[in-house]
Amino acid sequence: MDLQLTEEQQALVAALQDIMQDHAELPQERRLSYAWHDAGLQTLLGESGFLDAAREIGPLEAALVVFEAGKGIAALDTIGCGLVAPLLLPDLRIEGPVALVDRRDLGKAIRNLSISGTLLVDCGEDVALLPLAGFAIDSVDSIFAFPYGRFAERPDLSSARRLPGAGAAMRQWWRVGIAAEMAGAADAAIAFTIDYVKQRHVFGRPVGSFQSVQHRLVQRHGWAKSLYYLTMKAAWSGAESDAAIAACFAQTGIQSLMFDLHQFHGGMGVTIEHLLHFWTYRIRALQAEAGGLSASALAIAERRWTEAGSEVDAVPARVAGL
Amino acid sequence: MLDDLNRLEPFRAEIRSWLAANLPSDWQQGMLGAAEADHVAFQKWWFAKLMEGGYGAPHWPKEWGGSGFSFAEQIVLYEEIARAGAPRLILYFIALHHVLGTLLHWGTEEQRRRHLPAVLAGDEIWCQGFSEPNAGSDLANLRARAERRGDHYVVNGQKTWSSNAHHARYCLLLARTDPDASKTKGISYFILDLQTPGVSLRPIKQMTGASHFNEIFLDDVLIPAENLIGPENGGWAVAQSTLSSERGLSVLELAERMRQGFGLLLDDARKVRSDGRLPYEDDEIRRRLVDVHSRIEALRLLVNQQLTSILKDEAIGVEPSMIKLYYSDLLRDFTELGVAVGGIDAQYLQAVLMGSANETGYWMQDYLYSWAWTISGGSSEIQRNIIAERGLGLPREPQARAA
Ligand SMILES: Cc1cc2nc3c(=O)[nH]c(=O)nc-3n(C[C@H](O)[C@H](O)[C@H](O)COP(=O)(O)OP(=O)(O)OC[C@H]3O[C@@H](n4cnc5c(N)ncnc54)[C@H](O)[C@@H]3O)c2cc1C
Repeated sequence: MDLQLTEEQQALVAALQDIMQDHAELPQERRLSYAWHDAGLQTLLGESGFLDAAREIGPLEAALVVFEAGKGIAALDTIGCGLVAPLLLPDLRIEGPVALVDRRDLGKAIRNLSISGTLLVDCGEDVALLPLAGFAIDSVDSIFAFPYGRFAERPDLSSARRLPGAGAAMRQWWRVGIAAEMAGAADAAIAFTIDYVKQRHVFGRPVGSFQSVQHRLVQRHGWAKSLYYLTMKAAWSGAESDAAIAACFAQTGIQSLMFDLHQFHGGMGVTIEHLLHFWTYRIRALQAEAGGLSASALAIAERRWTEAGSEVDAVPARVAGL
Repeated sequence: MLDDLNRLEPFRAEIRSWLAANLPSDWQQGMLGAAEADHVAFQKWWFAKLMEGGYGAPHWPKEWGGSGFSFAEQIVLYEEIARAGAPRLILYFIALHHVLGTLLHWGTEEQRRRHLPAVLAGDEIWCQGFSEPNAGSDLANLRARAERRGDHYVVNGQKTWSSNAHHARYCLLLARTDPDASKTKGISYFILDLQTPGVSLRPIKQMTGASHFNEIFLDDVLIPAENLIGPENGGWAVAQSTLSSERGLSVLELAERMRQGFGLLLDDARKVRSDGRLPYEDDEIRRRLVDVHSRIEALRLLVNQQLTSILKDEAIGVEPSMIKLYYSDLLRDFTELGVAVGGIDAQYLQAVLMGSANETGYWMQDYLYSWAWTISGGSSEIQRNIIAERGLGLPREPQARAA
């Protein structure tokens, strides 16, 4: 695998970054909100073809789009409509955001449900595809930086279109998407914090010149970089086990990421008067869909090392006895 | 990068079969708790064997007796050496990497002719004499003094932590030639013959029970002026090129070895211990295995990224520091998990497996040895300083003392 982007991939990323740059400002009236979904940007990304990357180029490019869009301040849907839906339904073009849910969570608040036209439901073995027109959806107030919605009445899936056997693929690309968006948001949140600690002076010097701040930022940066690479590898290989590892790893560093980034903003970090939470709360929301750290790790061990016929990591010869 | 390497599959197959035919499968048995003399003899033998196969000096130019392998070929070679679990050529490390890089860049023709062929003949083991009791992280604070007298420099001072100096014939030495110049300006770089009168060594006992490094005392030691490398008082720049001469290949080897070593960890976790418990049944152990496994994958991807940049002749930034830091943090957690998996049986100090990877399955040894990795070659704190300032662009720390 070549982890360096090709010229085409670089061009894709640069073009997307240009657009994101033009939408980097939070509208003044949203200043004290918890969530900001930029519908105009969402439409623009669709119209400019970025959300077709999975279909037209490949999953790695689609993951790059999720990553880059994840750096923005606005909540968007790129995982559902840019990655999962086109890979499950290469021949069906779905307009607008696509929400994703585990069947068991149908009655709960669902991320992006209130802005989506379509819902993909992970039913275990199969996937159900539910167009949302005609359903009453209540929007849910939350602090999680995405628009959330809940069905006024639990929908009946029996008449929904079924994608037989697509459950595993849905979970796999959902995981890749979660990891990619978390990596993008983490990257941006770290950069935002670096800017802050360079500007804020205490004791006559920038906060960012203190080693206790520097070293922790370096650790978080190393984690975010690793997450990026593990995610891109999962998108490139298309291996279920790589997707599981990326999503599991994404959950490992969150606690320290959240704590350090907010901490380095001082009192500002416990308000919503700065913008940090637009990224960090988004990360939290995505984490909630990643399966739980412990459960994900144990599932990986089960698949990899426990089950009969599982992938076996090479065991080298060792010296016998002492 | 792997795309570039695919073309080298036949080359890979050649190396693999050469290693299968030439690497003694029981070498570890012989080197477990081996006497120093046996360790040296085996390192010499293995180096000679590798030279015979054309693999001993992969990065050396042909004109100096090396294989002149392309960078991509070197990557494949190190991957295969790691995969085969071959001994690490630790006694020749400084000679093969630092001496070559330094002499090719800064040495005189005479110095190259005198030393490079002898290194490849296996006759010259080298060590590095940079650190001193008061100059480690702050290397430029070094005090060993070299005064020019006629055709010689007279050197007085003390070096410390010099790995394998007790097996070495020569030392890459930094000493101060101008005590009045500012810290980095008055330093010169020498070739020191350790058999010169006035040189004495004292081995330092490590917490693992081994003695890999030494103090070196220098009392009126005469170094011929022709042993100066680079300009007088210009040694700091020479030292920088010495330290950057490895180009990511040693960490590639270490990462691949760690991936192999993971098999040992998993294997132990799935064995019933003497206390009747099966560590793998513990959720926490499985969770940590996945964590270590994922981070090994991430490490390999980071290394892959750096090597790709080198292959493409792109400038390298703080990646070497990031990777060093990542590797040494991970090695600690890896070996700590080894100790946890091993239970009470892993709590005592075993014999040292000489010339091995950093993961031997003798977990207490591995664990204690992992502590050296966050210190040697620039401590983790120093790496974090470098990344913070040059990678993340954070403001420099105010200097505690005028430089
Ligand atoms: C196994 C091993 C092999 C070695 N082999 C060799 C060799 O062959 N030749 C050789 O010349 N040297 C060798 N060294 C020496 C090595 O380079 C030094 O140990 C290392 O540079 C640290 O220096 P020090 O031990 O003096 O620690 P110090 O510099 O005293 O550091 C002590 C602590 O302070 C921290 N610290 C120092 N400066 C800063 C700072 N600016 N900010 C924050 N924290 C700081 C360090 O990270 C460390 O935790 C070896 C060391 C080891 C452990």
